[in-house]
Amino acid sequence: MPSFSREQVYIVTGASSGLGEATALMLNERGATVIAIARNEKRLLDVKSKCKNPENMHIEIKDLVEDIEGLPQYVKELKEKYGKFSGMAYCAGISNIIPLRALDFAQLENTHKINFYAPIMLTKGIVDKRNNIGQGTSIVAISSIASKCSDKGHVAYSGSKAALCASLKSISKEVIANGIRVNCVLPSNIKTPMTAIEEYEESQKNLYPLGFGEPNDVANMIVYLLSDKAKYISGQNYIIDSGGVL
Amino acid sequence: MKKEEFLVELEDVLQREEPCNETDILEEYDEWDSLSKMAIMAFYSKNFGINVTLNDLKELKTVEDLIKLAGDKIDA
Repeated sequence: MPSFSREQVYIVTGASSGLGEATALMLNERGATVIAIARNEKRLLDVKSKCKNPENMHIEIKDLVEDIEGLPQYVKELKEKYGKFSGMAYCAGISNIIPLRALDFAQLENTHKINFYAPIMLTKGIVDKRNNIGQGTSIVAISSIASKCSDKGHVAYSGSKAALCASLKSISKEVIANGIRVNCVLPSNIKTPMTAIEEYEESQKNLYPLGFGEPNDVANMIVYLLSDKAKYISGQNYIIDSGGVL
Repeated sequence: MKKEEFLVELEDVLQREEPCNETDILEEYDEWDSLSKMAIMAFYSKNFGINVTLNDLKELKTVEDLIKLAGDKIDA
């Protein structure tokens, strides 16, 4: 089981619920310092109230899509406040099911803003060698199984997640010389507030032999990839789908 | 762009912890690698409308040479 020290500081986005919350709590429990970022202060405070080491859980209220261009500067400001980063788990995102006939450009763009543009620009900030610890820095982003096998209505969502996987692969090659690792995890249906659409769950449940996953099923993989236990792994996409695809 | 502004921008493009000076020798920068050269090319294209090639950069010795490459786009 990976363990961390409080000197290891990780950004977790989307930390107020679902996979981000599970990742923030798990990292904190295992000793790391967590900068939990989300828009909703009340829910972030709820997360903080649940964590094992509240002195190592810091919350930051931020709407990541408000100023995407400014995200590298935002990372710099966080570094000045908390010290150099050991990595980031990018868990913010939206899952919208909109068939092409109903999709407009604003919806397409908004999906890409949070699922693709924001993680890329935050990563730009983290991999800046002035903002990270160098060797041992690890970045993990949540993509989706939809990036590999998308279904009806996932025009915007699957495109944004596939773009994320492809771009992070490129970034992993750019930064490996600095000892920085970059990976994606591709979950299928996980029981989170984001996926809680009853009709959709019903249509999907037969696809997953082991049933829908729990947030910790994904957080376990994220925390492993962030840790030094995964020091030989970079540029990979890990499917976590209850054996439904392979 | 003023020369002082360019030096700050260059520090950022190269992700240097130390400031850049005109007399600095590029090959002595740890950051002067192929990725940084590509970033410089993108920077010149975006900010000055100048298409710089890797061969152009290979000829340069100092930060001052880099400034000269921008011609009158950087004020002395």
